[in-house]
Amino acid sequence: MSSSRTLRLISFVTWFNVKMLLSSEFFILLTFISPLIFATLAFFLFRSGGGTAGQTLLYVALGAGMMGVWSTTLFGCGGAIAWQRWEGTLELLVNAPSRYDYILVGQTFGAVVFGFYGIVATLAWGVLLFGMPLEATFPLLLPLSLLAAIVSLGALGMLIATTFVLYRHANALGNLLEYPIWLVAGLLVPVATLPFWVRPISWLLAPTWGMEAIRGATIGADPPILAIAMCFILAVAYYVAARVTLVFVLAKARRDATLSLQ
Amino acid sequence: MTALSTPITRIAPERLRSAWRVFWYGGRMSYGMLFNWARPSIYIPTLIGGPTFQLLFFAALGSYATNRSPAYFAIGNAVQVSAIAGVFGMTMAIANERWFGTLPAILATPANRVALFAGRFMPFVLNGLLVSLYAFALGFVFLGVRLAPGSLAVVGLALLVTVFACTAIGALQGAISLRLRDGLFGANLVTMSILLFCGVNIPLRELPGWMQVIGNLLPFTHGLEAVRQAADGAGLAQVGGLIGIEALIGIAYAVAAFALFVYLERSARANATLDVR
Repeated sequence: MSSSRTLRLISFVTWFNVKMLLSSEFFILLTFISPLIFATLAFFLFRSGGGTAGQTLLYVALGAGMMGVWSTTLFGCGGAIAWQRWEGTLELLVNAPSRYDYILVGQTFGAVVFGFYGIVATLAWGVLLFGMPLEATFPLLLPLSLLAAIVSLGALGMLIATTFVLYRHANALGNLLEYPIWLVAGLLVPVATLPFWVRPISWLLAPTWGMEAIRGATIGADPPILAIAMCFILAVAYYVAARVTLVFVLAKARRDATLSLQ
Repeated sequence: MTALSTPITRIAPERLRSAWRVFWYGGRMSYGMLFNWARPSIYIPTLIGGPTFQLLFFAALGSYATNRSPAYFAIGNAVQVSAIAGVFGMTMAIANERWFGTLPAILATPANRVALFAGRFMPFVLNGLLVSLYAFALGFVFLGVRLAPGSLAVVGLALLVTVFACTAIGALQGAISLRLRDGLFGANLVTMSILLFCGVNIPLRELPGWMQVIGNLLPFTHGLEAVRQAADGAGLAQVGGLIGIEALIGIAYAVAAFALFVYLERSARANATLDVR
């Protein structure tokens, strides 16, 4: 497959998945409403503690937005293969001439791109309701930070999609993993305040570096070069791990004739 | 012939025994058959794992942002996690009748509707209590939650009433879901609203006036305040009023849910929409 056809395939599936998610009430809640509720909660909590400075509000808005991105990634990607099974399209997609992992890349990127609305929404929410200033210390690095975060979360989403399919109830895993990643990735609470053994775990997570890249470009004192680089490094690692898992899962499903079994 | 000579047994639907059977057995069966999460592979991640991390998250966030003790947030969230069982459970116990195709059969029976509806509360109230007690134990071990020994019974009573009230709003959500495409949308919204409006993490007095009004109309607010005060040593004389208000709110939601259920049943019969999805 030529690279232009691959890009076309991925971008089409991404767009198609965004459209599908827009028709789901659950994902509307997860992406459009839930980040606003958590942002409000966090704004009041920080205000209660005296944190009313503009930078604190921006810190909170970005963190709450990223919480929404993680939720959408988790649920949107966790059930990606399972939904194809339920809808009866998995066999067709796996046996199509296009590589299945490219289709999955498009699907997971669709969920992540959709989820990034959460950040836009919480920023607007903060400006309108809490008088939060919109500023960026490194505005030129902001688009690169956002791209790095999307790429790394998309690759993590692919890994989630390929591993969660091994568990029959992917949504239950989603329910389990929402809060711990919010906490460990330092989205609202700095990782430095958590126990020391949590820090190495946070280094392996895309949301940690994605958040650090975006925060670094907006309220950081130094350019977030390390965070951006880590996003791309992790994206490659996640993709390789997801590809290996996918080959294993599909080979097993073909061998056991369980591709379409739920 | 033997078959003809056997007297036909009739259980008059209005009889108390019949209603009791519908209440007791129907309630128990609704838990096992309609509650999607009543299997270990879903129950453990969702109702044990989820609440565990919710407690840790808000204890860490709250104490970092406000300098309050983690125990304050642990108590609030230990009570709130019962909503996951109560609200989602009751929504499923009612709305899944429609999705599993059993609603027409249920409504075709002459079973006492009050018993049918009330029986569903029992397992979900117990389940909510179980989840909440687990979260309290977690808070006790890891987050410094301490309950005054003299008022444990009052804490228990306040918790029971609060869980009942949250199950009642779950019943209302379940009745609403009989007409919706995705009932769990509303259930998610209710549990998030409880988190924001009911003083779980932010004291009610620190919220704007309009949010306090909403908080006072929702379950949890008064019950949670009673739990907090009782945990600090207040007796029934001090928190009895709060528990009473919480009970009244719960009963109001339960009555509203039942009224809506009956209205929707009549409307569905009249418009032949009983099985429309």
